[in-house]
Amino acid sequence: MKLLWFHLMPYPELPEDFNRKHHSVWVDVDPGLFEPEVVASSYERYIEQLVHAEQCGFDGICVNEHHGNGYGLMPSPNVIASILATRTSRAAITVLGNSVALYDPPVRVAEEMAMVDLLSHGRLISGFPVGTSMDTAYAYSVNPGILRRKYHEGVDLVLKAWTATEPFAFNGRFTQMRYVNALPRPLQRPHPPVWIPGGGSVETWDYCSTRDYVYAALSYYGHLMAKETVGGYWRRVEENGKDPNPYRLAFLQFIGVGDTDQEAYRLYREPAEYFFNRSLHVYPGYADPPGYVTEASARARYKSQVRAVVRAKQAKHDLTWDEMVEKGYVVIGSPDTVRETLEDVARTFNCGHMLTMLQFGNMSDELTRYNSKLFGEKVAPGLRSLFADAEDRWWPANAVAA
Amino acid sequence: MQRALGPSGPSPQATRAGNMASEPERPAAKQQEREAMSESGTLLYLPGIAGHPANSPALDALGDAGWNVVVPQIPGFDGRAGFQPPDDYLSWLTVVWDALDATGALPCPVVGASIGGMLAADLAVFRPEAVTAAALLAPFGIFDEAEPGLDVYALPTAERMGHLFAKGVPDQFVERFAELGPDDGPVARYLSDVAAASLVWPLGDRGLARRIYRIACPTLVLWGELDELLPVARSAAWTEHGLPVEVVAGAGHLLEWDEPDGVGGRLVEFLADSRGGG
Repeated sequence: MKLLWFHLMPYPELPEDFNRKHHSVWVDVDPGLFEPEVVASSYERYIEQLVHAEQCGFDGICVNEHHGNGYGLMPSPNVIASILATRTSRAAITVLGNSVALYDPPVRVAEEMAMVDLLSHGRLISGFPVGTSMDTAYAYSVNPGILRRKYHEGVDLVLKAWTATEPFAFNGRFTQMRYVNALPRPLQRPHPPVWIPGGGSVETWDYCSTRDYVYAALSYYGHLMAKETVGGYWRRVEENGKDPNPYRLAFLQFIGVGDTDQEAYRLYREPAEYFFNRSLHVYPGYADPPGYVTEASARARYKSQVRAVVRAKQAKHDLTWDEMVEKGYVVIGSPDTVRETLEDVARTFNCGHMLTMLQFGNMSDELTRYNSKLFGEKVAPGLRSLFADAEDRWWPANAVAA
Repeated sequence: MQRALGPSGPSPQATRAGNMASEPERPAAKQQEREAMSESGTLLYLPGIAGHPANSPALDALGDAGWNVVVPQIPGFDGRAGFQPPDDYLSWLTVVWDALDATGALPCPVVGASIGGMLAADLAVFRPEAVTAAALLAPFGIFDEAEPGLDVYALPTAERMGHLFAKGVPDQFVERFAELGPDDGPVARYLSDVAAASLVWPLGDRGLARRIYRIACPTLVLWGELDELLPVARSAAWTEHGLPVEVVAGAGHLLEWDEPDGVGGRLVEFLADSRGGG
């Protein structure tokens, strides 16, 4: 299986009473909280951590896109990816990704991702998330009622711009262009592999499986809560007549490795509490703009009410460290403990791409590197042989697995 | 009063089961029939941000005054399954005008509330021959950076309705689509909200400030003193373009529900005056 190292690039100095005194970490977060010098040094440190991840043997390094957000300081993942493309030589540059509905015209995304693919000599994974409601409907004010149609049209335009052999006119419902001739074209032909981050909608499962894209199940709430989502995805893969190749799936998991279970329990408590109680302090009003979810997803939600219950529980009190561990939000332990858990997750989920979150919250640089090194040296070797017989058709042409 | 073709006429189940597109009626004949049944004539009512449940007291006042109030079946607002918002505002106007034309009521007076006020104003702008008088109740359509008001869609869903009224949420809105049952009712509410939100996202400004000078029919603008979404100061933009604004004391955004007697009475008076050429 492939192991990828995922960075959110959080602001590391939100005040301790942030979730009690501030409205939200997203959309209307107080810009006065963000010291430019802290952000500058964080970028420097985080980029080095991503470079270090390649040195630790990770197959890919991941960046993503958020706007007006205190835990994700990458409004433009392509900027960071372009740096990583030249600072690394082997790992897949995994951009998860560009929310194409935010850009007019989306051809800009085609151009920038092609540049990253060229700069990295064919190591780009091109992710296209719809984007969260906070990023899209609020921070960028895209009408949620048309967001998904605009997104689908944008992805189609990007792919056509990458593969067309001559300039073409594009007469979409949301983008009209007389001349589409995105230059440069990417190095990978016909185009870089496409991964679609998603949160669990049936439409996204169908979109990925019918088009042969990787479905990247991104949740901050760990493998136990993801079972339903992953199971639903594989059912749709089967119903759409596709093979159960484990590399169709990527899955994100927070992880903390220590020499012993006890040490890991002690080491990762503070950054986990920082992330889940401060960085995820999102005002609930930003979660449900009308139109953001499809009618089918709304119907499923009203029937199950799962999310509402989860939200209500989270709103009642700060999550405790024991709850985070017990619920599987964070997999912690000795190398053996972590490997056993992740192997079980990978087999249960039939997941060929594990997105590891080894830096989270205000985790120090020292601890981040310790976590990455320990994982690379003592956990990864026990996982790599999984799914050895399956072909990863969604891996960049020139990224070399460890 | 008779209401037709909308959620307030037939039961919502019957409305949802109907198919206007496949069973077009003859507008002229229908209008003649309605005119014969009413003393004052027919008017169209375009509902606001929360849709239009049955039994609106202000519309009852119009009915009592002899008006035949027709509530057009605007796509989405009726909560029907399968709704997707049009791609853009021009497409929205097209489907709204299709719905208005299907009533056979035009030309006639048009009363529009909130989002419906914006649609009524644009109808009067672009199709002046279709609107004989326009009553706009806290219309969307013009934004003011200095008076942004409350972004109701940035509130948790359960809290939104409470900010539309100054005097509590009427039962009709609390129970919106409840008759459809526990599975379909919430979905219908969601789709109705999708329709409304898509018309006013993100600011509710559709450029009306640049064209409302074209409204030629008698026009009345009413505004709730306590409107949280569109603070009453926002009404100045309409006044500046020559449209008289009257402030309704103690009323919130959906003022015809907060002050049904006052708003209903003023509408009756205005429509009577406009019929007389006032």
